[in-house]
Amino acid sequence: MPARRRQGTNVNSTVEPYVLNIGPQHPSTHGVFRVRVVMDGEVIRDLDMIVGYLHRSMEKLAEERTYTQNIPFTDRADYLAAMSGNLGLALGIERLAGVEVPERASYLRVIFAELQRIASHAMANGTLVSDAGAWQTPLLYMFREREKILDLFEMTCGARLTTNYMRAGGVSFEPPPEFWPALKELVAELPGRIDEYMELLADNEIFLGRTRGIGVITPEDAINGSLVGPALRGSGVPWDLRKAEPYCVYDRFDFDVPVGIRGDVYDRFMCRMMETRESVRILQQAIAQIPAGPHKNDIPLALRPPVGEVYSRVEGPRGEVGFYLVSDGGPAPYRFHLRAPSLINLSLLRELARGASLPDAVVTLGSIDIVVGEIDR
Amino acid sequence: MESPGIILAFFALSGLTATSALLVLVARNLMHALVFLVVSFLGMAGLFLTLSADFIAVAQILIYAGSISVLMVFAVMLTPLASRNNGSTLYVIPALLAAGGLSNIIGFIAIDTDWDERKGEVLAQSDFTTTVAGIGDLLLGKYILAFEVASVLLLFALLGAIVLVQERRRAGEEA
Amino acid sequence: MSEQPMRPATPMLQQIAEHHSLLQRFMGVSKEWKGFVFLLLAGFGLANLAIAYVVVDGRLDGHWYDIRDLGNAVAGLRGWMQDEGFHPAVPYVTTALLGALGILSVVGGWLLIGSWVERRVLAKFQIRQGPNRTGPFGLLQPIADAVKLMQKEVVIPRAADHFLYYAPPVIIFIPALLGWGPVPWAERMSFLDLNVGVLYTIAISSLGVLGVFLAGWSSNNHYSLLGAMRTVAMMVSYEIPISIALLAVVLLTGSMQLSTIVAWQANYNAWLILLLPFAAFTFLFASTAEINRTPNDIGEAESEIVAGFYTEYSGMKAGLFMGVELGNAILVGAMMSTFFLGGYTLFGLETWIPGYLILTTKIGLVYFLFVWLRGTLPRFRLDQLMGYAWKFLIPLSIAQVMLVAIEASIFARWDVPAIFPLVAFALVNLGLTVEMVRRWARALGYAPEIMAQQPVMATTIGGLKAAQKMRGG
Repeated sequence: MPARRRQGTNVNSTVEPYVLNIGPQHPSTHGVFRVRVVMDGEVIRDLDMIVGYLHRSMEKLAEERTYTQNIPFTDRADYLAAMSGNLGLALGIERLAGVEVPERASYLRVIFAELQRIASHAMANGTLVSDAGAWQTPLLYMFREREKILDLFEMTCGARLTTNYMRAGGVSFEPPPEFWPALKELVAELPGRIDEYMELLADNEIFLGRTRGIGVITPEDAINGSLVGPALRGSGVPWDLRKAEPYCVYDRFDFDVPVGIRGDVYDRFMCRMMETRESVRILQQAIAQIPAGPHKNDIPLALRPPVGEVYSRVEGPRGEVGFYLVSDGGPAPYRFHLRAPSLINLSLLRELARGASLPDAVVTLGSIDIVVGEIDR
Repeated sequence: MESPGIILAFFALSGLTATSALLVLVARNLMHALVFLVVSFLGMAGLFLTLSADFIAVAQILIYAGSISVLMVFAVMLTPLASRNNGSTLYVIPALLAAGGLSNIIGFIAIDTDWDERKGEVLAQSDFTTTVAGIGDLLLGKYILAFEVASVLLLFALLGAIVLVQERRRAGEEA
Repeated sequence: MSEQPMRPATPMLQQIAEHHSLLQRFMGVSKEWKGFVFLLLAGFGLANLAIAYVVVDGRLDGHWYDIRDLGNAVAGLRGWMQDEGFHPAVPYVTTALLGALGILSVVGGWLLIGSWVERRVLAKFQIRQGPNRTGPFGLLQPIADAVKLMQKEVVIPRAADHFLYYAPPVIIFIPALLGWGPVPWAERMSFLDLNVGVLYTIAISSLGVLGVFLAGWSSNNHYSLLGAMRTVAMMVSYEIPISIALLAVVLLTGSMQLSTIVAWQANYNAWLILLLPFAAFTFLFASTAEINRTPNDIGEAESEIVAGFYTEYSGMKAGLFMGVELGNAILVGAMMSTFFLGGYTLFGLETWIPGYLILTTKIGLVYFLFVWLRGTLPRFRLDQLMGYAWKFLIPLSIAQVMLVAIEASIFARWDVPAIFPLVAFALVNLGLTVEMVRRWARALGYAPEIMAQQPVMATTIGGLKAAQKMRGG
């Protein structure tokens, strides 16, 4: 920012840019993400986003491992939505290698992906409200549901966060018998919990004042910026891969896609909230419909897909998780690329935050809902 | 004179006030000078307390130590290179003249006043009072004109501040 | 498998009872312990009966050993000293030191208990346990924290202004203690019963600004400076509504002396919060801004500027800042109780039990309200907060003061039993306040039905064209 002359004085004074270094260690950057902000009082004039503190060279490492060995990487990319990452990669491998999936496995995938969506949205909305200044209370309440979902994951595959659950050709384990009653209990109590949060936050004057009209993204901007997920739907574009190109068995369920009307932080928040409700609806239907049968087809351990390439995408909690796989006929992918929704959603932050005040920028960043593991890979 | 406690308090407080006033002049860092100035204000408030003028003392704290100091904080913050230099400027000449004139006036009055008359029964007979109610009566009775003029002045200051801020914003939008 | 009927969520009280219940814990203990506890309770009840008998008997009144009024004890001590023929300065200084010691111990005790209460109650709000390891119920946690803070290394930024860096924790602590001076704890128990008590309170509260600003400035940290500027701007703005709110109190009671204000409320059995609801709200809200508490804790907004003006402080210096924050919350509780909640009186109960216990209970209730707010509400933004002060609180407070001035002059001249004008004032003030707030908010553009519009369900799936279609339809 160039030095400028202060208006209204005849003193030849220059004003130094007031540079604020937010992160990599900061309460509201949600991980090791750094923003260098040039401020004018409380107003942000310009900002640089600096990423890469969590870079683990995932895509290059993936070229040295077999397809099945690559699935754990997707746990660690978006570590708040491991199931969705698993699902996207598993679908990609299946399409590349032409592997069939049993029907029960598809239903299990839907159940776990939707549970993961609820858990991830709980985390996203909780941290957003924390960013808006509610001293962690909504966050901890939402963690209560997330805990139960993670318990379900642990029951099934032994891990809570890095689940490594989906496989090409199905899922790795059949859920244990105690899983189903616990899941039903959770699904039964979730609508009441969501009502509770709506009661606490949806009409809260302070929360409305902090989020209404802040960080507005128009539909045109959202599409030009390649936004995906709640950030796209919050700005009014009715786009959901589960409806647009249904994968697994999503075409068998009856659910709606909430779409924001103003494209501000509040709309993104409410979209997540209402999507949680829709996920509960999907879960209820999936539990009712799930057929018996095997949970996976046996496939060779070192899968050698034919030469070719595939781009598979699923609707994760943060939006379209895409996997671009190129096979040269060997046991490991020739090229492995992850289209991370967080990174692309984040790219709009600079435009949103310029001219906004610092608290608004923090809330906007919270509403975009980034996961640094996915951005840096 | 009076009890030793009051005398002790007078010397301690006036020492504090004078020393910190001196340090305001000596300090090269403007923020340090500001802190000493506040200490000086507080010492003044203490001196008023020893004179049983508790309303004046509290007003001194409220207005000078609480508000004027904040005003100066903002002034310092808005001045470029504020913290680094309290160095020599040409303003020292008019400042010296003004300070000399003021101290002359105060000194003249202090010497000229017949202090012996200003205590005891004479004080009790005069309409001077320290209680808030008395001050209020005087302000809204005998000195109503001065009070109104002061309030009109303050109102204009307020309006002026608003006008200044608005003008600057418009200039900023054009730029 | 069939769909399960939806079950409502567990009510919060039930959850809390399930998580942690003294009663449940008590049911688990052995028979001997139960008997012991019953004996204790019975003894406590009997002792209370005995005390009540003595109190009603009237033989305590005015004696130095009357625990309901510690002021008598001090007066007795002073009288004894004068009888013994000490120099007149000795009883004066001794009683002053005793009072100061009392204030120090009250504040210190509150700091210890208050921090425990805050963490514990907040934990209950957030379905956590809170500190529960150090001592019974974690009661010793504040002491352990203080010891830890004192042991910690004090890190000073190299570029900090050393002289000004050391001063703020002390500067900011002084007004937090001085503010307790005029608080009347019982009928004759007030350390500094100034006849300008209200002004004194406002003046002392304005002193803390400087410490905050110096802390932020001397740390040479951008977060600190931002926090300091925010706090200073907010404190300066919110001093005005506080002063105007207290002006209404002074107008109605006709005194600036805190003990007289309490006596007025006790005399007419009317808490000023009923008579001046808007002033009470203004005072409470502006106080939360002055002392940096939720929803106005923008000076140390954690998610934005880390810890605000004391980001660079470590060890006991940071501890002092946190202690002052807590102490100020309690001080505001005391002021709120004194000005609006009847102070040490409780409709005649103060003749039976010590007034300081009543005041302590009221302070605790206000403090609980603060903790509750902290556990519930998000934070305002700086411009919203300043706009709220200048556009909303100040004009409405001024209107309220004009109203109260008329009422006060009616009250002074109208020769009927006080109950009639007071009830009329309470009703008029409440109605006018509600109506004024509603109309003024509407005039300022407050429109909840537009604000809370929620997302709609998509009718089609698609890109920009679908979006435009949805927006159009």
